[in-house]
Amino acid sequence: MTSNTENIPMPKSNRALFLEQMNRTFRSNKLTGVGAAIFLLVVLAAIFAPLLSTHDHIDQNILNRLEGPSDQFLMGTDAYGRDIYSRLLHGARISLIIGGVAIISAMIIGTAIGIIAGYYGGRTDDVIMQFNDILLSFPTLILGLIVVAMLGPNMQNMIIAISLTSIPGFTRIARAPTIVIRERDFIEACRALGYRDWRIMVYHILPNVLSDVMVMASLWLATAIRTEASLSFIGLGVKPPEATWGGMIREGFENILDNPWLSIFPGLAILLVVFSLNLLGDGLRDAIDPKTREA
Amino acid sequence: MHTMPNSKQSRESDTDIILDVRKLRTSFRITGEWHAAVRDISFNLRRNETLALVGESGCGKSVTALSVLGLVPLQNGRVEAERIQLGEHNLQGLSEEEMREIRGNRISMIFQEPMTALNPVLTIGHQVAETLLYHRKMNKEEANKTALELLDKVKIPSASSRFKEYPHQFSGGMRQRVMIAMALACKPDIILADEPTTALDVTTQSQILALLNELKQDSGMSLIFITHNLGVVASIADRVAVMYAGKIVEIAYVNSLFAQPTHPYTEALMLSIPRSDRDIKTLHSISGQVPPIGRIPDGCSFAARCGLEQPICRKLDPTLKPIDVGLTHEVACWVRGDYNLTMIEEHANG
Repeated sequence: MTSNTENIPMPKSNRALFLEQMNRTFRSNKLTGVGAAIFLLVVLAAIFAPLLSTHDHIDQNILNRLEGPSDQFLMGTDAYGRDIYSRLLHGARISLIIGGVAIISAMIIGTAIGIIAGYYGGRTDDVIMQFNDILLSFPTLILGLIVVAMLGPNMQNMIIAISLTSIPGFTRIARAPTIVIRERDFIEACRALGYRDWRIMVYHILPNVLSDVMVMASLWLATAIRTEASLSFIGLGVKPPEATWGGMIREGFENILDNPWLSIFPGLAILLVVFSLNLLGDGLRDAIDPKTREA
Repeated sequence: MHTMPNSKQSRESDTDIILDVRKLRTSFRITGEWHAAVRDISFNLRRNETLALVGESGCGKSVTALSVLGLVPLQNGRVEAERIQLGEHNLQGLSEEEMREIRGNRISMIFQEPMTALNPVLTIGHQVAETLLYHRKMNKEEANKTALELLDKVKIPSASSRFKEYPHQFSGGMRQRVMIAMALACKPDIILADEPTTALDVTTQSQILALLNELKQDSGMSLIFITHNLGVVASIADRVAVMYAGKIVEIAYVNSLFAQPTHPYTEALMLSIPRSDRDIKTLHSISGQVPPIGRIPDGCSFAARCGLEQPICRKLDPTLKPIDVGLTHEVACWVRGDYNLTMIEEHANG
């Protein structure tokens, strides 16, 4: 038997199928692309905030307080004379870091728990899912509020709080397909090949649930950013003078009759990000739907 | 090359036996009660031999295979056996950890449904190489190289360009070849093939059978081939065990079985094969069905569907007895078997 074993191609990455699908989605559904584009702009704005800012976002300048939008101050100034535009850019950093880190850690922890629950089933599943339901029964904001109030308001605790509120969702999202996949022949085949449970879970089940989980992550990132803004709004967020969108809306409230722009601009910023993530997430969800059926 | 075992030769020495199963009994808990799906079956498998397990659906063929591999679910299943001897190991006494070393390494399995037995999101090459990474502790480069050789060996055309393709890009027959490559990867002593050709069309089926036969000759491994298709049996098996309701009712070398099907069930199965060389208007069918495992009757379990039924058949379950000089053709039937009649009467009275 002749065999041509030179030029062994390295196995293609597991994400290939997913990416193929994403590509198709962006082409067929324009709104998904719009969502992705807006979100990308926000991310770039946050990354290059120091370059894009026209003023220092913390320095106070009492002479220029409560000015409307002008050439010098693109979006006006707040009660301490700080440039709203520059503060918005830096607020984007806080929102994205807190939201992003919280969602990524929730995704990792929640998916791991969900796969374990779904794969083992029985008593393990019961215990995990009961506990999960307890967490789910709290409204997101209330649970976040309790945790931040207990740990104290700072960035790290905000991340912990928001992450905790998102874990149960990811657990459910990962568990459901795991239960279906567990019964499929190729998992039985893995057992017949002598693979350990963790290997089956990590290398064979995880890639199959990953697309579902990532789509939900994009939707829940929007929720996380809203939660962060809400907590900042009621004063449980990152401490002033650091700029956060929720905090800016609250500060704006004190002078809303003199200068409504103070609250309107950060409000619009939150709207824009949440809207773009929802467009993106919805599109991605539609994209994976038929695949879940077909498989 | 090994010489094929001659079909009518007498029992070979025990050193040639690679798998020896004694009194295997596998039960499942159904609504709180334990019912045996495989009832005290014994068989052995020699090196480089193909043993076919034949029978209708629900006869315990697949359960037998899963029991040998230790893959019967623990919560609802129970495997008991006097011994399941693989070479120097008694698989009965091994821990789960030790069994993992056996599975995929010394015994591997090929499944019925090639369309679902491969992971849809991993490449073919990756899946074959993973077995080698895991059991042979190869590095990635070696594993990929060996995997490619294996794909070539199972005759996947232009294997190196298809190495990184996904299962959905392969046809059923090609996927079954991939499954065979995975099963073959660690050079196992035994391959359990659970209806590997049932889901394939006839042409592909014969190609896969030819491939399995060829690989078996080359590597000196043994094959347990589960099927309900006697036509397939004729083309691949050295020996055949006919199963009915969790028992082996007849076991023989393939020539002997086809020349002289002795158990009424075997005979009925033979009559049910469609044949192109004879002019038959209506095909024979066996009336009734296999008793469900919760309601297996006393005596011979085939009695209710058998035309030759005697009073004793309803009372006592016959055991396997040789009917030929070489002691290789065994049958469990009161009517057709070779029993000492006084013994039967003693049984009946006592």
